[in-house]
Amino acid sequence: MTKRKPTGRGRIAATLALPLLLLVPAASVLAAPGTGPVVRLFPTTVLEDIRETGQVAEDMENSLQQVIHRMDLQQDLYSESLCAGADGDAGCDRIARQLGATYLEMLELMSDRLPDMERSVENTRTSLEKRLHEEIGLRTTPTSLQDSLLGAVDGAPVTGADAPALRGRSGVRLSDRFRQYYDLVATRQGGPGGSLSVIAADIYLDMEDASRLIAATQQEIARASLMEQLNQSFGLITPEMAQVVGGVKEILFGERGADGPIAAPPYAIGEAPFVSPLAM
Amino acid sequence: MKPSILLFLTLGALFALAGCTTTQTAEHCTARVAGTLDAATLDVEQRLASGCEYHFDSYFRDLLAIAEDNPAASNRVHFSDFLVRQVDTGTLSRRRAEELYNRYFAIKFVSLRGDYNTCSQTCPIRQRVLADMRTELQHKEQGLLRASEDATSFYRADTLLKETELVLEATCRACAAGGS
Repeated sequence: MTKRKPTGRGRIAATLALPLLLLVPAASVLAAPGTGPVVRLFPTTVLEDIRETGQVAEDMENSLQQVIHRMDLQQDLYSESLCAGADGDAGCDRIARQLGATYLEMLELMSDRLPDMERSVENTRTSLEKRLHEEIGLRTTPTSLQDSLLGAVDGAPVTGADAPALRGRSGVRLSDRFRQYYDLVATRQGGPGGSLSVIAADIYLDMEDASRLIAATQQEIARASLMEQLNQSFGLITPEMAQVVGGVKEILFGERGADGPIAAPPYAIGEAPFVSPLAM
Repeated sequence: MKPSILLFLTLGALFALAGCTTTQTAEHCTARVAGTLDAATLDVEQRLASGCEYHFDSYFRDLLAIAEDNPAASNRVHFSDFLVRQVDTGTLSRRRAEELYNRYFAIKFVSLRGDYNTCSQTCPIRQRVLADMRTELQHKEQGLLRASEDATSFYRADTLLKETELVLEATCRACAAGGS
């Protein structure tokens, strides 16, 4: 297990101090005049949560990107060396073990980084949940909600270019997504409230999905690590490795599993579920 | 002739006449509405003023169909004026006229209205509200897009529905969680 790196909160706080101070006055008012009650969905605390989550995601991406890139290279080498089905070839066995070792390294890195990610995502989710409940759930009526959503258009037309895209951001890095969120929120602080409601809803629902994925991934990591340690004894590359790597890429880089796993199994070893001789 | 027989015959004749009148009125009310939108509207207004008020909904649908066949940006104004006149003559309440106009010719959804907060009013019946809004979008397609050729407004209404779905999904989850 690698040593946990510092989260960098102090560094981030120092880096962000100036921009956040500049944002404070803008963050106090969200709705344009005449679009109903003032809705404060993105006070400075929420902005900071979003920004920090983006930073944590970026740190995680950077640390994993190298490992995943190395796995890609090892996978290419394995394929180009025609190792598929070459049982007993010493060179191929070595490549397979190296690939497995890199996979373990990735799992350890994730195990190291995910708690920070989980905490940060949870902070953003919780703070947005509170704002949505108070500002839209309790302070907005169905009529005024519609007015505020429409106000985004009636007051200042939202063009396709600057309109917040709705859910389904496949293909976008997690950190880039947060950067986009932050930019959207920060640049729209004085603008119409309608689109901010949409952005808040979008981020909140995304955070719920991310929380679920992170929790599921964390549960799998320990088991996957154990399995791979066992596999290292035999030099196997399993489909499970490809699945886990695919899941990581989906969370971090917005790539869907169906797009092709980064480390597809060269041959179908280990597809049958493990049955212990001790099993009753 | 006995007075009782005379009375019986007189009453019979009166009932027969009344029956003829009712049949004529029913036929007059249910006759097909046709022609240009202006002519059809005039025809409908005359019928509404002569005992056919109960057929208003049917007439409104007929007029919409005629407008669809003759799309023009001015049709929206035409329907607005028509509905205002019906309010003035007492055929429709103002509330009903507003409901009809906005349902077919406005971006806003009449299905999403209320004066209580979203958590308590909309969230408990969110799926029904959204289903009503989807139905209303079809009405807007008829009124805004096909009858009035106002694609911009129709697509804005479509976007508004999508945005509402998203915001309500998130907000109602937050409401259910109690906002932490």
